[in-house]
Amino acid sequence: MSSGLTQYFSHSRQTCVGRRLHCARRRATRLARLLGVLSVCYLLPTAYCLLTSAQARRVVIIKVDGLPGAEVDRYVRERDPRTGKSALPWIEHIFYQGGTRVENFYVRGMSLSGPSWSMLDTGQHLHIKGNVEFDRLTLHTYDYLNFIPFWVENVGRRRVDMPGPETLDEIGVPLLFDTYANGERHMGFQTFQRGARWTTLQNALTNYFTTRAPEELFDEWTLGFGGRNMVMEQLQRELIQKIADPRYRYLDFYTTEFDHATHHNRDRATHLAALQALDQYVGRVWTAIEKSPVAADTALVVVSDHGTNSDERYYSQGYNLVKLLGSADGGGHHVVTKRRLLNDYALKGIYPLVPLITTTTPDSFYLKGQSTDYPTALIDFDGNERAGIHLRDSDLNLLHILLLELQRKDLAADLRRAATEAFFAALDRRRPEWQRTLEELREETAALHKLIERQAALVAAQPKKWTKADQDAGRDKEALRQFARLDSWRGDERDYTEYTRTLANLLALRRETFEPAHINIPDVLAKGAMGDRNTVFELQNYVAGLAPGGLKLTPAGALDMGRSFKRVDYPALLRAVAVRNNVQPGLDTHPVDFVATQIPAETLRLSVSDPNMRADDCVWLYRGEESQALLLARRERGDKISLRFVPVAHLRQNADGTLSFERLAWRADLPLKIWEDAQLVLPAGAERAAWLSDWHTDLEWLRALHLTEYSNGLVGLHEEFAHFDTPAIAADVPDLTRDEQLLRRFRRRQRALIETDLFVHASDHWNFDVRGFNPGGNHGSFRRVSTHATLMFAGGANTGVPRGLAVSEPYDSLSFVPTVLTLTGRMSAPGAAVAAGFAGQPAQFPGRVIAELFTGPRAPPRSVAAGTAENAH
Amino acid sequence: MNSLACARGGRRAVSTFLTLLFVICPGTRLAVLAQTPAADAQPTPAPTPSAGFRLERTPVAGGAELLTVFGQLPGSSANEQAQRVVTGERQDAAPDVPLVTILRDTLGDGQRENDRLRYVWMHTYTRPGAGQRAAAAVPFLYNRVGNKQGESRRVPPPVVDLSATDHEVWQKLFWSALQTILIDPTGVVVKAATRTYRRNVTDYRKAHVIRALAILSLYEAESGTPSVFSPGELNEIQARLMLTQKTFGGIVDDIYLQRVYQQQTTQWLDTRGHNWELLRQQAEANNLVFEPLELPDGSATHALLWVARADLEANGARPFKGRFLNIDNPWNDRRLRKWQGYAETRYFDADNRPCAPDAPGARAVELIPLALYGLDHPKIPILLVDFRDTLNPKQREMSRRVLEDVARNVLAVSRFDLPYLLGRTVYDYVTDKRGMDLNQTSRLRAYSQLKLLLSLDASLDPELRTEVSRRLEYVSLNPLENDRAAEVQLARAQYEALLDYARRPDGLPAQLDRDRRAEIVSLKHTRTEQTLFRVANLLSFGLYTHREEATPAEQAAALDVERQLAYHRHFLREVARTSARVEVQWEIADVRRALEYVAAHGARADAKTAKAVARIFASTQDEATRRLCLSSLYRINKETAKDALARIYRDEAQDARWRTLSADYLRRAAGEQQRIAPATAKLIAAMDGQ
Repeated sequence: MSSGLTQYFSHSRQTCVGRRLHCARRRATRLARLLGVLSVCYLLPTAYCLLTSAQARRVVIIKVDGLPGAEVDRYVRERDPRTGKSALPWIEHIFYQGGTRVENFYVRGMSLSGPSWSMLDTGQHLHIKGNVEFDRLTLHTYDYLNFIPFWVENVGRRRVDMPGPETLDEIGVPLLFDTYANGERHMGFQTFQRGARWTTLQNALTNYFTTRAPEELFDEWTLGFGGRNMVMEQLQRELIQKIADPRYRYLDFYTTEFDHATHHNRDRATHLAALQALDQYVGRVWTAIEKSPVAADTALVVVSDHGTNSDERYYSQGYNLVKLLGSADGGGHHVVTKRRLLNDYALKGIYPLVPLITTTTPDSFYLKGQSTDYPTALIDFDGNERAGIHLRDSDLNLLHILLLELQRKDLAADLRRAATEAFFAALDRRRPEWQRTLEELREETAALHKLIERQAALVAAQPKKWTKADQDAGRDKEALRQFARLDSWRGDERDYTEYTRTLANLLALRRETFEPAHINIPDVLAKGAMGDRNTVFELQNYVAGLAPGGLKLTPAGALDMGRSFKRVDYPALLRAVAVRNNVQPGLDTHPVDFVATQIPAETLRLSVSDPNMRADDCVWLYRGEESQALLLARRERGDKISLRFVPVAHLRQNADGTLSFERLAWRADLPLKIWEDAQLVLPAGAERAAWLSDWHTDLEWLRALHLTEYSNGLVGLHEEFAHFDTPAIAADVPDLTRDEQLLRRFRRRQRALIETDLFVHASDHWNFDVRGFNPGGNHGSFRRVSTHATLMFAGGANTGVPRGLAVSEPYDSLSFVPTVLTLTGRMSAPGAAVAAGFAGQPAQFPGRVIAELFTGPRAPPRSVAAGTAENAH
Repeated sequence: MNSLACARGGRRAVSTFLTLLFVICPGTRLAVLAQTPAADAQPTPAPTPSAGFRLERTPVAGGAELLTVFGQLPGSSANEQAQRVVTGERQDAAPDVPLVTILRDTLGDGQRENDRLRYVWMHTYTRPGAGQRAAAAVPFLYNRVGNKQGESRRVPPPVVDLSATDHEVWQKLFWSALQTILIDPTGVVVKAATRTYRRNVTDYRKAHVIRALAILSLYEAESGTPSVFSPGELNEIQARLMLTQKTFGGIVDDIYLQRVYQQQTTQWLDTRGHNWELLRQQAEANNLVFEPLELPDGSATHALLWVARADLEANGARPFKGRFLNIDNPWNDRRLRKWQGYAETRYFDADNRPCAPDAPGARAVELIPLALYGLDHPKIPILLVDFRDTLNPKQREMSRRVLEDVARNVLAVSRFDLPYLLGRTVYDYVTDKRGMDLNQTSRLRAYSQLKLLLSLDASLDPELRTEVSRRLEYVSLNPLENDRAAEVQLARAQYEALLDYARRPDGLPAQLDRDRRAEIVSLKHTRTEQTLFRVANLLSFGLYTHREEATPAEQAAALDVERQLAYHRHFLREVARTSARVEVQWEIADVRRALEYVAAHGARADAKTAKAVARIFASTQDEATRRLCLSSLYRINKETAKDALARIYRDEAQDARWRTLSADYLRRAAGEQQRIAPATAKLIAAMDGQ
């Protein structure tokens, strides 16, 4: 800067005298401009530093499951005729008048609790892709929402964390509260919970009865005691007690009450009652903060993981995908779920430790009576507006069917010969890939075994007794955590070793020594294993069983692969589903809106020559033969993600792996319905088709799309399908030992194995819940109504949280953690690393800090009721 | 031996007398009505226009008004329509029928704070005829025996007295004790007869309470203009009606009423939504046609299942999953192949949406009704009409009754007999968990609501409506029930009788006067005395009720203060219960107004009011409000109030002004000999010592 100034003045000295006046005028203008630039360059960071120096020394976070931003806004603006105040007076008082609210805060990814809280609690890209995940090779399930097994195992001292933190620990992703020491944090009961507090349950019971007068208890008894209320009440009580203690610097409270209410009921009164209960609690927390000794330094944050698609005019209608996949048309699958179907109506439903639930189909083509050994489909329908489907590798089905046929004694010789040929043709086609998997898994399990031995020694060395100081510091829990890891790794080793055994047997089969009659099928085809993900070709030509007439030969005497097998085109099947009873005007007869699946980047590279179509990630969206799209993504330096949406039709994958499709011009009724959406906001002067056809960053897409019907679904779909590295699983880290590299690869593999074949997105007001019924409303989709969440900040005088500020810039879940870290002074500058996690390893956060919170104007509070109705539509 | 026979005879005589008394008793309550004249009762429509309902206000002499909800009943019977031809009523207009009336005692002024809601009359609820009463006492007679004979000119019995819900609890307990201690030991016949009768009477009343609730809910949903009911008042009426279903519901504290209303409504809507969806999915899975039936507010309380005649041929071998539907497989049912009963042709578009016959692409489908279900039943939709098997719903309806009646009345098994208790609990649990409507106790609601729906839903084909009505009457187990047409006539006649009663000086105005005199009892007598009066009332089977003698002016003055105090007490408790900081959640002027009233007239306020005021003091920063809180605590003549002042005085974190003011008030209270706990008295003495 200073050299620029020197040049400027030196230049001005050389000007002629006659032009002095003119030059002086120009000089003044340029000087003013320069000073302007200087002041911007200097003052902004200074302002940022000054403002961020106004920091919250502690933060209280109220985590509300499924609190839609629009619904909160609507009720804040309503006046309660009884009180003359807002229907949500505390939220209005604390956040609308005295704090900052982010009007356009969205889930990045599916609007589903497990994944969404994983992003909000870590500030990292999505690694947890469903409320339930299945490992395709071992059928191990990650059931992130089921807290009962966690509590049961905690009693048995086998687990100390919920499954979510365990998974994140494995891949080295720390949680926000991990940045605080054990004695500095107080957490509620939640999805990503560390540790169990049995005293809370005990005190819930005693306090419920001791804090009420006898006549109150009598009335409560008449109206019905609520066990759930007791625990919630105690959790609320504990938070308020801890707020009074300045040693706690991180406090949170998690509630699902509103989410449950909206799943069950669609009516306004129920929603409002649930919101008012929340509002009153927020008020109690705020007054507790005000009374605490560090009130001025405390920030209060309300955040939710998603919105909810609940509309007073509609019941949300369920469609049973389990039944569809079990039907002959659907492939006759025995289907595994992690939720019991019609749980509320089943006597077995009272058993809290839900095992894998297998729904046996009578329509299975070749696996009748073998549903528990050979399920061929896994469904995670949790999330309801979306489902994840795993199908067994179509080639495993093919091999299985052919083996069964070959074991028949009455099979004609020509068919036997042809079937044997077909069997080995399929096996040989997959042999290189499976051989590689086998070798890699063997290497990885060997490395895991060494790790287990080290861990066993570590666990054995742990003290058996703990002092009070140890317990306060959480050292006893950490020791238990080490044991839990050991236990989990041993399970992994056992399961993957078993899988590799059968895979090795399968690969050991040779034409020359092949005696199908002597093969025990479970020795070569692992029970319960889905194998690799299916390609688009396989999903479009899925082998579900023998054709009605059995095996057929071609004129040349080979097995007729087209006529011998019952094949299913799953994308087409799912989209074509239609119902007979369509009694709610305005609802689509088709429960499935679109399906999506990942296409490997190599497949795309093989198929297209256009360099503008090159991508690191590719997702295919199917909404019918004429309505499809390819979502392309490029990862560039740092965390920059560029995305492109390419409308296509008639996409097919050929047997050789290449893709064929027609490019379409932008038009209406494509997946995500972007073109026709009146809420699409393009940059000034941009031509719609041109802009939409181009590559843009995720932020540019978010800005353009967030108000549309599908909101940031385009970004969310990429998030859902992409693989993101973490410092603990990244491959390109120097100086790693061979075992460390193998273990990293193993963790990456585990995360890849949970990825589904098909992502099924429901039509509006449809859901896939078959555990029970959710007529009130659902979430899980990319619709704005489901992704638009709540984020509000308020704080004492020293926190610097602006008052009466409404941030209209769109932000997503990735922004939450870096913003809170900045607010509490733990992140020194945007993008800076923060010591996080148990080991205090530095972590970086890809999300944007909500800058308005630190640089926004300190506007005086404004009248809320007089404001515009809802910022968004 | 002889003495034993004598004793047995004597016991029989007593039990016969008590049984007779029991049968007569429900009618005796309003037979002791007062006889002072009044004659200014002229109905005036209140400005509450709505699609199907209107509200009429009728002033009652002595300072009260009758608020009557009228409904247009498009589903009136053919008889009724014929009658309208005779009377010259317009044929295109739906008949206007009085449904529910509520008495509001206003003390003759326009002030809302001293109003009190009293009786709720459901005009289809009537005193049963003699034949109906006799039939109601016959054990195992699970059937209607016909309608009440003759036109009802008597004042209808109210379904509830909103100002004295506790009476009902004590009466219930009293009669249960009487039944167990005196009547049951007299023999199986008397025991079975009395128990059956009581049950039928209770169910009959419950059914009308449910309908009253439904009507008020519909009125609330439809009313577009400011209601004649204050905010929350309608909800409180409904909450009190809801609580009549619980044994101790009548003595639940008023502070819970909003919560009761909200939770119960939420639960009902939840159940309805679940059943709607369950039935739709079952229909879909079985290739049947699902049609929700809606009340005028758009809420679907029932649903029909149909089968397309064309599908019967095509799906002959189709498996049928009847779980939750509880009807026979339609696909192999010969009755359906030769169906001559009611059928309808509907039109559907390419997306299977119902459409007009002339819509492009419309296809005609002939539909045969299979069953009608109620959606307000816990867990599963309840089968109310099976168009192929009339006995099916009846059997399901009877199953639990038979089981219980045999066990309790014939086998004399106590409800708490351990093997019976365990067996029944397991059976109940399993059938409930599996979702079987054999064993549910809440059929009454679905049944009662269907009767209402048949009256209100204009969209139903008249022929289908008649068919459903006919079958529904057959399902009824209660001999006290009247059919739909008779109920419409009863409602009109009883409303006329009520209006007449309101006009007569010795009618409703006199009743009002007696009720007010009874209300004053609590102002003039101690708790013990009040308890003794209540016992006397119960032991005399309601013939004796203690009332105070007072001139109308004295009455009005005393009640005005008492009711306003109750109003403000309720308000302050609500404020205290919900507020972390009062001024954020409530209009502070309203809170001050309530406190001012307590500070001026609150000497008789109770401990709960004192606690509420103390809590408000702690949760407000408004100076004036805090000052009023202390003033109110001084005025309330209760130990709790003075304890609260003492606590404020002792609290060193409090501002000195408030501590000083509290001390002043405590001294003044001591000087006035107010009620003060010994510990607080010591504190005051110590203060003076300083």
